[in-house]
Amino acid sequence: MDLSIEVEEGTIFGLVGPNGSGKTTTLKLLLGLIYPTAGSGTVFDLPLGSPEYKRRIGFLPEGPYFYDHLNAVELLAFYGGLFGMSGAALQDRIEELLHMVGMWDRREIRVRNYSRGMLQRIGLAQALINDPDLVFLDEPTAGLDPPAQMEMRRLMVDLRRQGKTVFLCSHLLKDMEPICDSVAILARGVVRRQGRIRDLLGAESGRFRLRVAGGNGFSLDSLRDRSLDLKIEGEEITMLFANQQQALAAAQEIADNGGTILELGAQTRSLEDVFIEAVAAGGDE
Amino acid sequence: MQAIYRVAVATFHEAWRRRFLNAILVFAVLIIGSSWTLTYLQPGAELKLLIDIGLGSIRFFGMLIAVFLGVRLISDEIEKRTIHTILTKPVTRAQFLLGKFFGSLATVLSNMALMGIAFYVVFAYKGSKFMVQGAAQGSESASPGISTDFIYGNIAKAIGLSFVEMTVLTAVSVMASTLFSWIMAAIFSFFVYFVGQAADFFKSLANPARGTGFGGQIVFNAIYGIIPHFEVFDMREAIIKGTYVGWDTLGMHVGLGLVYAILIMLVAFLAFMNREV
Amino acid sequence: MKKQRGVQVVGWLAVLILLVGLQPLSNAVNYRRLVLGMKSPTPLTKMVDFDPTAVTGVIMGAALGGFQGVAASMLWMKMEELWDSGKGTWLECLNVMRTVTLLDPHWLEPWRITGWHLAYNLYVETKDPKLQAIYLAKGLDALKEGISWNPNTHELYLELAWTYFDRVRDYENATKWFRAALQFPHPEFVERMIAHAYERLPDLDRALDWYDYCLKRNPDDGTAKGATATIRLRYLPAWRLMQAGKYDEAIRAIDRYLEVEPNGTIALHVKAHIYEQAGREREALDVWRLAARLSALDHQARRKANELAAKLGVTLLPSEQAPSYYLEQMQEPRRLEVPQRRLR
Repeated sequence: MDLSIEVEEGTIFGLVGPNGSGKTTTLKLLLGLIYPTAGSGTVFDLPLGSPEYKRRIGFLPEGPYFYDHLNAVELLAFYGGLFGMSGAALQDRIEELLHMVGMWDRREIRVRNYSRGMLQRIGLAQALINDPDLVFLDEPTAGLDPPAQMEMRRLMVDLRRQGKTVFLCSHLLKDMEPICDSVAILARGVVRRQGRIRDLLGAESGRFRLRVAGGNGFSLDSLRDRSLDLKIEGEEITMLFANQQQALAAAQEIADNGGTILELGAQTRSLEDVFIEAVAAGGDE
Repeated sequence: MQAIYRVAVATFHEAWRRRFLNAILVFAVLIIGSSWTLTYLQPGAELKLLIDIGLGSIRFFGMLIAVFLGVRLISDEIEKRTIHTILTKPVTRAQFLLGKFFGSLATVLSNMALMGIAFYVVFAYKGSKFMVQGAAQGSESASPGISTDFIYGNIAKAIGLSFVEMTVLTAVSVMASTLFSWIMAAIFSFFVYFVGQAADFFKSLANPARGTGFGGQIVFNAIYGIIPHFEVFDMREAIIKGTYVGWDTLGMHVGLGLVYAILIMLVAFLAFMNREV
Repeated sequence: MKKQRGVQVVGWLAVLILLVGLQPLSNAVNYRRLVLGMKSPTPLTKMVDFDPTAVTGVIMGAALGGFQGVAASMLWMKMEELWDSGKGTWLECLNVMRTVTLLDPHWLEPWRITGWHLAYNLYVETKDPKLQAIYLAKGLDALKEGISWNPNTHELYLELAWTYFDRVRDYENATKWFRAALQFPHPEFVERMIAHAYERLPDLDRALDWYDYCLKRNPDDGTAKGATATIRLRYLPAWRLMQAGKYDEAIRAIDRYLEVEPNGTIALHVKAHIYEQAGREREALDVWRLAARLSALDHQARRKANELAAKLGVTLLPSEQAPSYYLEQMQEPRRLEVPQRRLR
């Protein structure tokens, strides 16, 4: 099986795919946790799994679990020790990271008493202990409550700002869309679609979407004739128009008849649409 | 080296926090300590009982600790996926495995050392009393049925050999841990230990003089050749018979134990290298 | 990956080499343990019919790990409690003893006590000759089984030899097992016991040789000195004449001493022996019968009388009959070899 993924340095890259698509296997290969049955791989011109390579990467596993008898400082000291770090340099780095992930005040709590969010934070901190160039994050937002998800996304954007390359792995497309610079869609071990997210979503389709509620006196039939598509869900009507003029005219008409404009704008596709399309396209393989 | 040391230290600390290990240690020390209350019963019998309880406890509880600690060492890391964050750091699999092994070995031996100290204290106090009492009875040997020659030295050496024995057993359970789930690994380790305790018996079963068939000879000799001879680390007979055991002999025993441990850890590494984590 | 596969191949080769290279070291350690007496070999061949539970004992012992000795010690103490309190019957004590020997077969004391208990206590306890025969045979067998587990130390050989000497009065077996004890470090009196046994066999030349050895080792050995003087004075003249083939003169010589002490056991044995050497079996039989009548404990005379009477078709008086255990034993002769010191 051939697998080629292009990741630009200093960007956030998302590897997305349904369960069983080979995401985890790909990730494990890239991390050097498993060996390819044939052939080999390199990143930064270093063989996968080599110590030199491992010095330059960081990894946050999905649903991370750590030696739970340690507290945050001890845990990070342990991981730092694996890199040969020690003394004041290590202590400084630990303090910096704990501040960064917002765990400094809670540094004395033992890992066994951590909440899901705290585990994720300390997990990110341990992935960054060696100041890596490339960070692998496996489902970093899964299982987190909305504020924690937002915090996690902010941290990822921060990493990009620091010039690090972030390699995300997730099936939560909505979380990926706003922060990824580029993605690769993986299904059944094959990359179906790959590229910058803007290109993939194809922002300018030219169509406009109008969503309204309430009002009466306007002709539903007329609207149905003029629109490309019209759906009624309870009070709400959603319409799709070929251009901006038609959409504006329809909006005006509804507003004049006491309706409320809920949404009016250019129609965009979501990552989810692209994903479903890509997976379906290769479905008969 | 740094990585091995770090993993070993972490393993050691984690192991010492395991409740069941602490419970075993407390229980063992209590049993050894209980022989303090042993009173004069019959010349020889109480001295032998004292030694049997002490050495027996060290070996038996040492065995429990070595097996139950060792068998969860690798499989737990894989199951809980803690291994992922470690192996993606600059730690090779060999370093990780050795670190885990040395960490648990340090735990096993420190536990046994505490039991050994408890026993030696009890023995130094009670043993001398029993020996004096035996002598006062005017019997030709101080305690019939048990010789008191070299008894203090032999007991120290016996404790030392039980350390070597448990080093080998720890290696066996670590190896089992790289291959099986922990329950399977525990069964495997106990099986190897018990068969190894009776290795000589299998050797004698293989003897054609016993009327063993050709197939049986091959099977029993194979078992004898492969299984670690745990029984050679047993010095009870030397203590009872008052045999002097020289340092060169002791060195040979230790050497044999180390070769066993290296061999087993090599197998463990070869199995672990291919293991999906 | 190629590199991985290479490591595997080299690794397993190393495992194989280590495993093969380990065997000489393992053998050396095992050899040393046997030589030094750090362990006794597991019996290879059956000296006597093993109690089949011996196998169970070995496996149980292994399963108990370090605690096999504790279990044995506890049981042994239980046995002593039964014994001392008088609550347990002697048979109950015997059962516990046997269990201890199975659990910890390298502990000598239980073997010694078991043999003694059977051959002495239980033997005396019953008046049934058949049972007596069984107890005595079992006592001897227990000691032999103990020897097969512990062949490299003198204690059980000594115990077995003493039982033959003192209980059975079978001086041939007594000398054989006393001599077996000589292979290992042993107390001084063993050589003297061999001389005593030869004296009673009788084999006066060998007896004198062994007394001589004792005197050379320790010139102040009073027993050896006295015994040598007695033999020379009382029996040796007759013995020498017998060896020269002058049987009539030999009989006269020993008779001179028998006039002084008519029921001298050794003198009677010597006299019977002279008749046997001369081929005068009927007269030999008469002497053995006389010795048997004179001493109820002279089992050797009773046995010899029994053997000769059977050969010559003579009916013995009840007081001349061999002890029942002899009759039992003679039906099924046991061939026993002295195990040589086995190191492997």
